[in-house]
Amino acid sequence: MSPIGCEEALRRVEAYLDGELSGPSLLELQRHLGRCEPCLGRTEFRRRLKALLAERCRCEVPEHLPARLRALLDTSEEAAGPIDRRA
Amino acid sequence: MAGPEGAAAPAEERSRDELRERFERDALPLLPGLYSVALRLTRNPTDAEDLVQEAFLRAYRGFGSFKEGTNLRAWMYRILVNAFINTYRKRQREPQTVPDEGIEEWYLYDRLAAQGAERSAEAEVLERMPDEDVRAALDALPEGFRMAVLLADVEGFSYKEIAEIMGIPIGTVMSRLHRGRRALEKALWEKARERGLVTDRV
Repeated sequence: MSPIGCEEALRRVEAYLDGELSGPSLLELQRHLGRCEPCLGRTEFRRRLKALLAERCRCEVPEHLPARLRALLDTSEEAAGPIDRRA
Repeated sequence: MAGPEGAAAPAEERSRDELRERFERDALPLLPGLYSVALRLTRNPTDAEDLVQEAFLRAYRGFGSFKEGTNLRAWMYRILVNAFINTYRKRQREPQTVPDEGIEEWYLYDRLAAQGAERSAEAEVLERMPDEDVRAALDALPEGFRMAVLLADVEGFSYKEIAEIMGIPIGTVMSRLHRGRRALEKALWEKARERGLVTDRV
């Protein structure tokens, strides 16, 4: 494991925030962020942006929808097969 | 369809009941996430409901051959995505690329930082944006990009799962996420500017 520069660190931020970094490449980035405020600031910005998107895009399920789905399943009972074909 | 005769009928009925019970227990709780994604894909509540119903129906019909213990969540999203592609992509042909020429890597961050705000206030501008603006920025992405970003950022799927759900290679997932997010940042900046939350200073 060797120290990485800002350019390399920032290249890894996206995969890092997506939880896709592991091993030495994760440790190298964490070590860099631990001592580089500007890179940490950019990383935190992207982290908040990702969280913001999740927050703003979750919406309420229409109240009637679960019942409608259950009714739909009732009417398709006949077509539900193949039933338990597992050996 | 339990016939009046035949000893197999009660057993078949029971396993159908079990299947139904298991489906309600395991698949139905995924509805909020599936509906949220459906709404952002179709961009319309009526179509989103239709899409979710179609997906649940297909899933239920195939549930007997779904292997318990494997990734039910990814399986359900894959069905939803396929149903969307089959039903809706026919209707609306969109360009499947984002205009990423000239969007620099830190487009949004650099512009927000140039607002002269105090440190770490960059994201606060975005937090003041109304939901509809954030959703509109996302809705403006071509569907292949929108799908990847939704699955990663809203639903928290891994690259590997997204590749399976969308039926594309992992490298393509990564490039769609990267390019989709840059295009999204640009759209967010433009929305913030229209709202008067920021002014051009770069």
